[in-house]
Amino acid sequence: MLITKTRDENKLTVEVSGRIDSMTAPEFEEFLKENLDGVTELTINMASLDYISSAGLRVLLLAQKKMNTQGTMEVLNVNETVGEILDVTGFSDILTIR
Amino acid sequence: MDINYVAEGEELRLFFEGHIDSANAKEIEDAIGAIRSAGNYSRIVIDCEKLSYISSAGLRIILRLMKDAVVVSVVNVSPEVYDIFEMTGFTEMVKVSKAFRKVSVDGCELVGRGANGTVYRIDPDTIVKVYENPDSLAEIERERELARKAFVMGIPTAIPYDVVRVDDKYYGSVFELLNAKSLAKLLAGDPGELDNVLDLYVGLLKKIHSTQLKKGEMPDCKTTVLSWVEFLKDYLREDLYTKLYSLVEAVPDDDHLVHGDYHLKNVMLQDGEALLIDMDTLCLGHPVFEFGAIFNAYCGYVELDHESIVDFLGIPYETAAEIWDRTVRMYFGTDDEAFIQRVKDKSKIVGYIRVMRRAIRHGGPGDPEAAAVIENCKKRFDELLPNTDNLEFV
Repeated sequence: MLITKTRDENKLTVEVSGRIDSMTAPEFEEFLKENLDGVTELTINMASLDYISSAGLRVLLLAQKKMNTQGTMEVLNVNETVGEILDVTGFSDILTIR
Repeated sequence: MDINYVAEGEELRLFFEGHIDSANAKEIEDAIGAIRSAGNYSRIVIDCEKLSYISSAGLRIILRLMKDAVVVSVVNVSPEVYDIFEMTGFTEMVKVSKAFRKVSVDGCELVGRGANGTVYRIDPDTIVKVYENPDSLAEIERERELARKAFVMGIPTAIPYDVVRVDDKYYGSVFELLNAKSLAKLLAGDPGELDNVLDLYVGLLKKIHSTQLKKGEMPDCKTTVLSWVEFLKDYLREDLYTKLYSLVEAVPDDDHLVHGDYHLKNVMLQDGEALLIDMDTLCLGHPVFEFGAIFNAYCGYVELDHESIVDFLGIPYETAAEIWDRTVRMYFGTDDEAFIQRVKDKSKIVGYIRVMRRAIRHGGPGDPEAAAVIENCKKRFDELLPNTDNLEFV
């Protein structure tokens, strides 16, 4: 998993690539914890994300809960595999996916 | 043009095959008309297992069937054909179900065997739980839905992916592979892990009980337990039955999550985090219903046969009894002996309902072992019920 971020005042764009699984999810969680202060628009770009496990989805859930209190969160460019996981787990209904 | 069909009562199942477009739609519609005029069908199921393409002319056949006020559903749809239904907005008008993905477990690694199924690893990230009963589809879908809801509410668990058809014979549920070990295994392998195991176990339990859902999103615990009490009616002295029923009925309604079968085998440890599995008993209700089941897992079911806990959890009875005791103390964060005793007694009352019901169902009074369990439960109710005014943890 590789995370890159672009911060533009209160907008944060996070590009996450590779796999978010139980090994890498804690790192992703830590990253979001450290970077969400003062963010009102969070965009997570998943164009190069190959796989997300339940551990990763829980991090997204935490991020969504945090952003519900301070702004908006959008998920972009979900590929077919990840999209299917989001669908079957019911996450498509919770996240804003574009 | 012939169209294959099966008629059963008021349901007509039509098999759509091959390519359906303007070239053959008229013939197909005429054929369907002939089939329908020979019977009285209120439901039409369109089976698309062998359908490879359907054009707007074909879709209009379905639209006209719907206009005739019959209930239409479309099943066994391939991903390609599903796209057509979705793009044209059909999926919003009529129930369209995708075909189950087919998998084979031939040559796959056997991961484990459970009460109702066998688990195989089908690729590096996923396992499939194959249900032995070929008619288990409704049960599988029920469990998946419960697990999905819990997961979305933030309960750490494995994600249930899709339902699949296994070797054309059984249904299976595909899960993410956990790189995990159950707390029961962990403890059986190293008794020195008890403190750590309890921390994880009670921590997750509190998380479950702090998760709130909307009433009706999951089954209501109290309704289920009341039905178990009713089951005991013919076996219990009338005063005990009446008291038991009114105690359960008076438990306050609660919309927090209850796992319903919370023991060390149903908590998996993955990278230091506790994950909950086996979600088929999830319900909403007061924690006393959870504690009744917890008491049973460690003490209630084995009260007359302490040794058998080793087969179930792989730990000696003394350890199981200690887990029960410490779980209560840690959960409530107190060593107030009078309070702990009240919690335990109330949990036991709920627990014995299930133990007695199980003994009646598996064996009954005619079976010496079951009869002993039934008598023991009656004795316990006799001891506990007169001193209990409510089942709340106060």
